[in-house]
Amino acid sequence: MAGIDVGGHGGKRNLNHEIPLIPFIDFLLCLVAFLLVTAVWSQMARINADAKVPGPPRPDEPDEIKPEKELHVEMRGDKKFQLVWKEGATVVNTIDVDRKAVNMGTEGDITFPALAEKVTSEWKNNGNHKAPTDKKFDRAVLHTDNSTPFSDVIAVIDAVYAPQRDFTLGAKAQKLPAFNLTFAVN
Amino acid sequence: MSGQKALSRFHQPIQVPGRRLIHHIPLPFVVKKAVGGGQRSVNQEIPLIPFIDFLLCIVLFLLASFSATGELPIDKNVRLPKAENVIDMTEAPMVAITGNQIIVDGTAAGSTRTIEDANRMQRVDELFGILKNKRELWKQVNPGKEFPGVAVLQVDRRVTALVVKSVFQTAAMAGYPSISFMVGRLGKGN
Repeated sequence: MAGIDVGGHGGKRNLNHEIPLIPFIDFLLCLVAFLLVTAVWSQMARINADAKVPGPPRPDEPDEIKPEKELHVEMRGDKKFQLVWKEGATVVNTIDVDRKAVNMGTEGDITFPALAEKVTSEWKNNGNHKAPTDKKFDRAVLHTDNSTPFSDVIAVIDAVYAPQRDFTLGAKAQKLPAFNLTFAVN
Repeated sequence: MSGQKALSRFHQPIQVPGRRLIHHIPLPFVVKKAVGGGQRSVNQEIPLIPFIDFLLCIVLFLLASFSATGELPIDKNVRLPKAENVIDMTEAPMVAITGNQIIVDGTAAGSTRTIEDANRMQRVDELFGILKNKRELWKQVNPGKEFPGVAVLQVDRRVTALVVKSVFQTAAMAGYPSISFMVGRLGKGN
């Protein structure tokens, strides 16, 4: 057994102690078994989306709010995506991106790297909210056909969330997607 | 105390029990046979200190990856898509959309068939009622606190966008404007 030896003290009470290693190992093994049984090996995550819901009017709200630029992502065609920057109802710029899906893995997951690249460069050039202390995010609106499968919708949302920005809330700094996405209702 | 002696105290010996029955016979050749004299020692020592170090490492790793929130309930009929630019899961009401059913935390909350038959976005009344009740309950349990308004959608990858948008808008109308889609984590290197 492991012991603590404080040396000899002739004639006095023995101060040496033995550490009971076997119960200690038993305890550790129990702990390992418990933690292994309760462990969660989950690979689940989430992608955020935001519904544009108008709240009640605030007393300090200005009468006229200048519309911000929004990125509208059209995924209605089979061949291409259309990125449209709009300021209110005014179209500022329109960009076409080839709809090239890249297969990922064996379960039929796809990504759109060309779209992700274009959205990233567009945000770098036209994004309004880039400062880490800015609490607002740029808004993206997704227009999709009613028959589009959800896996394709998620692949496009994933591409829209490719540009990441620093975001500081209090003392906590983190990287978050630069856009906040919502669905077009029409 | 010598170093050899100090180290030897940390080892647990395994000793072969040996023979006991003929030990009392006072004849040298009998005693020699009884204790196995002249043969190689078969006693072994288990190095306990490295073993304890190993166990401690496992315990620390498991404690670091321990999650007190428990396992996320995933409907077995839902095949989730995967994505790269994701954030960690949060605790919120879970709305699952399988082939033709909408389920909130295990309770049926409508059918997707009515939306598909109508072929236009519409509010799912049953889902709206359940989510609204959950919101009211949260407010009663947490008086004075701001309602987070977060719901998580578990949507099968084959479900159409029309159904997703309808459920999304229904949840928003019921007071959950911040909707998350549960997805699998796709590694950047995949």
